[in-house]
Amino acid sequence: MKMSEEITYTAAFEELQLIVQEIEEGGISVDELSIKVKRAAQLIKICKSKLTSTEEDVNQILKELEGE
Amino acid sequence: MPEEHEIYTLKQVANSIQKAISERYNRLYWVKAEMHKLNYTIKGHCYPELVHKEDGKLVADMRGQIWKTNYDRISKNFSEIVKEPLRDGMTLLFQVKISFHPLYGMSLDILDIDPTFALGELHKEREETLKQLSKEGIINANKALAFPLLPKRIAVISVESSKGLSDFYSVIKNNTWGYNYFFMLFTAQLNGDPAIEAIQTQLKKIEKVKQHFDVVTIIRGGGGEIGLSCYNNYALAKAIATFPLPVLTGIGHSTNTTVSEMVAYRNAITPTELADFLLQAFHNFSVPVKDAQRILLQESKQIIKTGQEGLAQEIRVFKGETSNLLVAFNHQLKDTSRSLQLNSNIRFHEEKKYLFSKQEKLKHGSNKLHHEKKYLLNHSILTLKKNHANFQFSQQSRLEDLSIFLKQTFPKRLDKELDQLKAIERNIHLIDPVQVLKRGYSITLFAGKVVSESNPVSVGDKLKIITLNTSIEAEVTHLKNNENE
Repeated sequence: MKMSEEITYTAAFEELQLIVQEIEEGGISVDELSIKVKRAAQLIKICKSKLTSTEEDVNQILKELEGE
Repeated sequence: MPEEHEIYTLKQVANSIQKAISERYNRLYWVKAEMHKLNYTIKGHCYPELVHKEDGKLVADMRGQIWKTNYDRISKNFSEIVKEPLRDGMTLLFQVKISFHPLYGMSLDILDIDPTFALGELHKEREETLKQLSKEGIINANKALAFPLLPKRIAVISVESSKGLSDFYSVIKNNTWGYNYFFMLFTAQLNGDPAIEAIQTQLKKIEKVKQHFDVVTIIRGGGGEIGLSCYNNYALAKAIATFPLPVLTGIGHSTNTTVSEMVAYRNAITPTELADFLLQAFHNFSVPVKDAQRILLQESKQIIKTGQEGLAQEIRVFKGETSNLLVAFNHQLKDTSRSLQLNSNIRFHEEKKYLFSKQEKLKHGSNKLHHEKKYLLNHSILTLKKNHANFQFSQQSRLEDLSIFLKQTFPKRLDKELDQLKAIERNIHLIDPVQVLKRGYSITLFAGKVVSESNPVSVGDKLKIITLNTSIEAEVTHLKNNENE
């Protein structure tokens, strides 16, 4: 579960960079703009929350260690 | 029972050996040996077990002894130079006195340990570890790992009481950007031989739950710089190099970089620097995200603005064109209507005039016009004639008046003027000098001028006297004033 989240934020970061690149190169029309900006806003939110959140649980890790 | 055998007491034998040895080994020797166990006692004396191995097999094993006074000196000197404590398993160079004691047997009385040799040995271990790791091709294995975009779940190998660890936490937790990390401490001794085993044990533990972590940090600091050669240990360095997560070290020392630090994904000089590195990694993620936000906003605005401007431009062009067209049509319409009006007016006027003239011509005949003109002419001539006659008459009568006036006044005036002239002529004749001279008067001149009050004469002066017919030269002989007579 944690791994998939990591992929999500890494992917989010990369997708965001891609959108920025596209928009900077002027490849986005007014029609596409709203979709792209909406998506970018989601990605930014994912990335930003990643910087400030904590999602690991020490007890869970300890449980896993004992279970071995 | 063999009687001829000489019999010695044990003490005699022991004393003999002691004597022989002290005579044979009568100086000090430098001996290289591995100190298998130091055997430090509470009293402060040590009884180290010295061994010599060949191909891993024990080939010599002797007991040594270091008296407290020597040990204190040796240990202090060694630590200062080698930065390591005297510990089990080290190969050292001992200065010894070989001795035999009847009670305790053979022993090497250790008087000194050469720290330079120990340094060399440690260096050798470091070199060998490096060489071995290189040979195995794993020396850069950890560095070659992909570093997580956000190293936020951190397994910490350290000790709770470490000053370095509290520095590390303090920098991370006081970051002003709100970056949040997850830490889990795996306690392990970080100095000396025990560290080798302890760190490896914790690495194995972490590996079991590695999916919960992004990186491993080994943090030490504040504990002096003694006992760091453990990080040159082959087994430990290998465990770090081959660990599946990036290992970051912040061991905090100023001596030579250890192999463990060299093979780690990243080595920070201090735990604080390690904390800064982790914060920087977050910056490297955060800044592009912020930039992306800014660029997206800016570019989107630009795209919309460009679109709006394009539209506005189209509208302007459309408006301009249509209004031009309208104006042109309007003008054309006006021109047509004006010219229509003008032409019809002219036409109307012309027709009217034409009709009118026709009408006039019809009304007054040309005879009447002729008659009127003739009458006017005759009338004018008559008036002219009359005026002329009047004028002539008035001028004539005025002339006649003037001539009468002249005829009446002029002769009277002429007679009067003549009388006046005659009287003047008579007077002039009377005062003529010739007439005076005729009456017997003369003129007396002195110096060309008439003798008078302004031209007086003295006795002897020559005078000229003029009469009617002669000029007389005379001289004054006597002067007499007439008033006195």
